Amino acid sequence: MSAVTMVQAVARTLDEEMARDPRVVVMGEDVGKRGGVFLATEKLFDKYGPDRVIDTPLAEAAIVGAALGMAVHGLRPVAEIQFADYVYPGFDQLVSQVAKLRYRSGGQFTAPMVVRMPAGGGVKGGHHHSQSPEAHFAHTAGLKVVFPSTPKDTQGLLRAAIRDDDPVVFLEPKRLYRAVKEELDDDPDFALPIGKAAERRRGDDVVLVSYGGSMAETLRAADALVEQGISPHVIDLRSLAPWDEEAVLSAVARVGRVVLVSEAPHTASFMSEVSATIAEEVLDALLAPPARVTGPDTPYPYAQDREYLPGPNRILRAVQRVLDY
Amino acid sequence: MIRESQLFEPFTEEPISVMNEAGEWVGGFDLDLEPETLTRFYRDMLRARVVDERLGRLQRQGKVSFVAPGGGHEAAQVGIAHAMRAREDWLYPYYRDIGLLLALGLPLVEIVGQSLGTSADPAKARQMPYHPGSGEFNVFTVASPIASHVPPAAGTAISQKLAGSGEVTVCTFGDGATSEGDWHAGVNFAGAQGAPAVFVCENNGYAISVGMRHQTGSDSIHVKAHAYGMPGYFVDGMDVLASYYVMREAIARARDGFGPSLVELVVYRYGGHSSADDDSRYRPRAEVEQWKRRDPLTRFRRFLEKRELWDDEREAATLQELGDEFTAAVKQAEEAGVPPVASMFDDVFADLPARLRKQRAELLGEG
Repeated sequence: MSAVTMVQAVARTLDEEMARDPRVVVMGEDVGKRGGVFLATEKLFDKYGPDRVIDTPLAEAAIVGAALGMAVHGLRPVAEIQFADYVYPGFDQLVSQVAKLRYRSGGQFTAPMVVRMPAGGGVKGGHHHSQSPEAHFAHTAGLKVVFPSTPKDTQGLLRAAIRDDDPVVFLEPKRLYRAVKEELDDDPDFALPIGKAAERRRGDDVVLVSYGGSMAETLRAADALVEQGISPHVIDLRSLAPWDEEAVLSAVARVGRVVLVSEAPHTASFMSEVSATIAEEVLDALLAPPARVTGPDTPYPYAQDREYLPGPNRILRAVQRVLDY
Repeated sequence: MIRESQLFEPFTEEPISVMNEAGEWVGGFDLDLEPETLTRFYRDMLRARVVDERLGRLQRQGKVSFVAPGGGHEAAQVGIAHAMRAREDWLYPYYRDIGLLLALGLPLVEIVGQSLGTSADPAKARQMPYHPGSGEFNVFTVASPIASHVPPAAGTAISQKLAGSGEVTVCTFGDGATSEGDWHAGVNFAGAQGAPAVFVCENNGYAISVGMRHQTGSDSIHVKAHAYGMPGYFVDGMDVLASYYVMREAIARARDGFGPSLVELVVYRYGGHSSADDDSRYRPRAEVEQWKRRDPLTRFRRFLEKRELWDDEREAATLQELGDEFTAAVKQAEEAGVPPVASMFDDVFADLPARLRKQRAELLGEG
């Protein structure tokens, strides 16, 4: 099996799951003949036809809400929101209906469905094609939130999301869609547990925690640290709800220094939660306050597309601060 | 696409009615309902009114925190329920549909238990009163955000079409719901897919205090069906037989693969929007009294009396029976008890994540 990109991993996993389970349907804007604007549903329409690859009206509330109604009736819909920035008309459906259905019906109805959405910046798309809305979803009880950064993790986590009996918001870092290629797992049941982080590098001097698109810059910063003779420990969260507290807290307790990297805006971001948990749970082990390197609290700009993102230099400066503390 | 052999035309100038105020049949076609069915309709309307009044009393006693009065909606709701195949078709109701759910067959003790917040509620007392649902009866659990159930209803109908299940989805809402974006998104998707859905507006003329004149530039709700490529039926919702027959036709149309429709049942809400509302601030009493003179129960009772299917004696006996049934249901629902505190952590997900386990322990004082 040859190596594939992240977006190809999405298409291949959808194909494998649709072949395995006739309840799995794909729906969204342009997912049919067009194969999705990023080609995440390429060739599925030809293979499975319009009943299982459904081109929807241009209405995110209809996409998310109808996916819920299909899930309630026995299907396993995988809905695509073309850009995470466009999810807001469907946000009420996610928050009021999808997230709460199992709870408010006392388990009489459930919502086994996935809402996929390309997220994050770095593609010169301005604020309406670049945002990172994951904190909204992580803040909503009843939703699982996944944000992988590699093709193989995408394969394993998307499969787990489709097979999950609860709704999963599946964010895909669009600037990494075609950044790297990786061999996928040939096992048709290969799945990664939602809520489990990955250790990308083992080290002793500073813990770097990130996820999604910012993993690329975090790993580049880690390489630079190694060249300087500093030993970084790198964690890719992969899932935000639930998130792997054990992996983060044990590493931070051992190392004593931590830098949290995410391109999402700083205030009330997901890394705020990670930082607060570290402070609550392992304060005594800290040799320096946790440092966050994030996007600024501005709308995502157009001309400063790259500068908005936490790049290796900003990460390295933060590492220096926690080392010098 | 319009089926042949249909009884009713869409987009009429006046609401469709088959029974006049005097209780005379003016349908212009053969009434094909058995006497037992006709009296069943009336009994269900009476039951809706009794339950509505008794739940209102429980609210005033402080046992129930909220009610959304359904008086005036009984004919529409009973007509809808009897046009459906219970447990087979799906219903996406709204909060004022208690009478509809009872007529569909949901046990009274579950409805009462839901409003009392006890374990008699199959949803484990997770929602405020007047928000029931039933997995057993394919009744989607009522949600408060207006029209948020419309896109899910469209999705269920699309799934029914894909499965070729022969089932139909009925989705009800008030007039205010038709202003929400989600309403249009859902109805439009069902139209684009030709899904077997029937969207039903119980139009009582008010969204809390805001009347139709300020709700929409349209003269009526059913005309909005034009925009989504489906027939729109304009019906006298105080006429139980008109409500039933039009719903029956719309449901048959959907079941036979001819796609969705929009049915507007014109009703009136006798009470306030809810127990937290003061409708005297926005509705003249004369208007309320005028509509009460057109009461759907009175009209249908006249119809039955002309056929010697009902009389004072049956009325009194049935009211006694329904009152006793309610008293017994309250007793049973109260005896079920309030769900334990720890149960508030159940059903967030299929499994309890570590973080919720920790929060549960902390809340229960074990952490």
